[in-house]
Amino acid sequence: MISIPYLTALTTYFSYGLLFVFGQIRDFFRKIIDWWSANNLQGYAPICLGLEDFYIRRLYLRIQDCFGRPISSAPDAWFDVVERFSNDSNKTLKRTNKVSRCLNLGSYNYLGFAASDEYCTPRVIESLKKYSPSTCSSRVDGGTLMVHNELEECVARFVGKPAAIVFGMGYVTNSAILPVLMRKGSLIISDSLNHNSIVNGARGSGATIRVFQHNTPSHLEEVLREQIAEGQPRTHRPWKKIMVIVEGIYSMEGELCKFPEVIAICKKYKAYIYLDEAHSIGAVGKTGRGVCELLEVDTADVDIMMGTFTKSFGSCGGYIAGSKELIQYLKYTCPAHLYATSISPPAAEQIISAIKVILGEDGSSRGAQKLARIRENSNFFRSELQKMGFEVLGDNDSPVMPIMLYNPAKIPAFSRECLRQNVAVVTVAFPATPLLLARARICISASRVGDLVGIKYFPAEPRKQMEEEERMKLE
Amino acid sequence: MMANLYVKATPPADLNRNTEWFTYPGVWTTYILILFFAWLIVLSVFGCSPGMAWTIVNLAHFLITYHFFHWKKGTPFAEDQGIYNGLTWWEQIDNGQQLTRNRKFLTVVPVVLYLIASHTTDYQHPMLFFNTLAVFVLVVAKFPNMHKVRIFGINADK
Repeated sequence: MISIPYLTALTTYFSYGLLFVFGQIRDFFRKIIDWWSANNLQGYAPICLGLEDFYIRRLYLRIQDCFGRPISSAPDAWFDVVERFSNDSNKTLKRTNKVSRCLNLGSYNYLGFAASDEYCTPRVIESLKKYSPSTCSSRVDGGTLMVHNELEECVARFVGKPAAIVFGMGYVTNSAILPVLMRKGSLIISDSLNHNSIVNGARGSGATIRVFQHNTPSHLEEVLREQIAEGQPRTHRPWKKIMVIVEGIYSMEGELCKFPEVIAICKKYKAYIYLDEAHSIGAVGKTGRGVCELLEVDTADVDIMMGTFTKSFGSCGGYIAGSKELIQYLKYTCPAHLYATSISPPAAEQIISAIKVILGEDGSSRGAQKLARIRENSNFFRSELQKMGFEVLGDNDSPVMPIMLYNPAKIPAFSRECLRQNVAVVTVAFPATPLLLARARICISASRVGDLVGIKYFPAEPRKQMEEEERMKLE
Repeated sequence: MMANLYVKATPPADLNRNTEWFTYPGVWTTYILILFFAWLIVLSVFGCSPGMAWTIVNLAHFLITYHFFHWKKGTPFAEDQGIYNGLTWWEQIDNGQQLTRNRKFLTVVPVVLYLIASHTTDYQHPMLFFNTLAVFVLVVAKFPNMHKVRIFGINADK
């Protein structure tokens, strides 16, 4: 369901059309110029077809300075962004030695574990001294340490499932697990706005993929009924298994999944359910246990729960939690477990310590304070932005808030102006979002105190002035 | 008051980033407005008769839409990993389903342009010949029976 002012839709199409036309004209002249000069391919085929990287060359590179900005400090509430300059209109960017201290509105630092923490960091350093940064081996060869077993038990206990398995990288968790679970002859039904890791894993599995409209359980039911009735393509035999993949919080929308309805439908049609909690684990729910706790869904109803440690725990890696038989099976078959290096021991120790802080097992109430703070900060920030007149998506309590920009010219304008005011934001456009719905995505962190946010950064008068200037510049 | 200006829509889910933008509201209006403003610009730049201007717009529309809808294959993104590399844009839209609303609209546009261009030039040669050729090629290329057909192997995959 998208809602956009009609005139904005027309101007956005026109802007993209203009960018496309200019890109094509430039490509045309480039082809003529290159036809005259000799090519040095020496009989080899070119690496990519000319049109495959059209979007990168002619649209993305024009505003390249808004993406991929290097930082030179820990991604805490305030961090250092390295300044860059370009002499050839953004085709190449050169780093300088100067940094600017910016307010961090882009990092996934929901609970504030990204910077040095009084409980976690000493333990991580101790683990680093004891175990060294890498295990130098895969889990089955020689890379399983006690921290790994402890981490898996800890995660299983935290999430509420009998067993769990952890991997060194969050993206790989999705893209290596889905091919193991689903084969040719199975059906994957995934939400239309699922993350690229799920899309890649589903494509790599060889199963048939169908999408249902974002967060619309009625359409999910329609798709399920149609697919069960039709069966496999061409042979019309029944599907070997059906899996529905949804996310807890959608990172580009800030919306929570309509989970109870989805679970009810999957139970009715006997489909498996796979929940990707990358953004919701540790960030929502009374004790931080994610979407299941927030929406009061029994974790026994969810077949496979997946999540990453990069967002709320300040580490890296991903996990899958499920029944003991499922995890046992994954340990025998998943290539990320058999061949990839196991998760780094200090990173594992950081996750264990972060979970202990969240649950209050370190003896203090900092975990509960952080969870309360992130909820308050998100709600306060969202209501303040809406008062200022921005169009903000997302549900209440969700720490992700996209501000809609729509027109492609506003993306570099907003990004650069914010950087000039020492605010670092992440802007996202096509193809990560639908064509019309470009946005700036703000991630709230628990490391700022609520009233500090209110008084220092958003005093009503001066901010409105800055907002007026910005609006005039964009018009 | 501002909320009334918003248009709400639920476009069908389309995995192909190259074609899903065509399902959002406002595309048809933008297409028609671009054609109309192109006619105004041709009329003001060349100073020719309105009929001649419509003929120029019709022929330019023929060249551009034939090239981008029926000649260029694949998608401008590398993440699609070449799964659409054998399909033109016309064959990709609406996931290959024939006779959808979008396809019907896109088939009617060249016909309407032809009628306007030939009417305003009073059906004179040589404009009539070129206009007829344009509409014939464009409409035949959009037939459902022409899905994935490559005549004489022109533009087929290597």
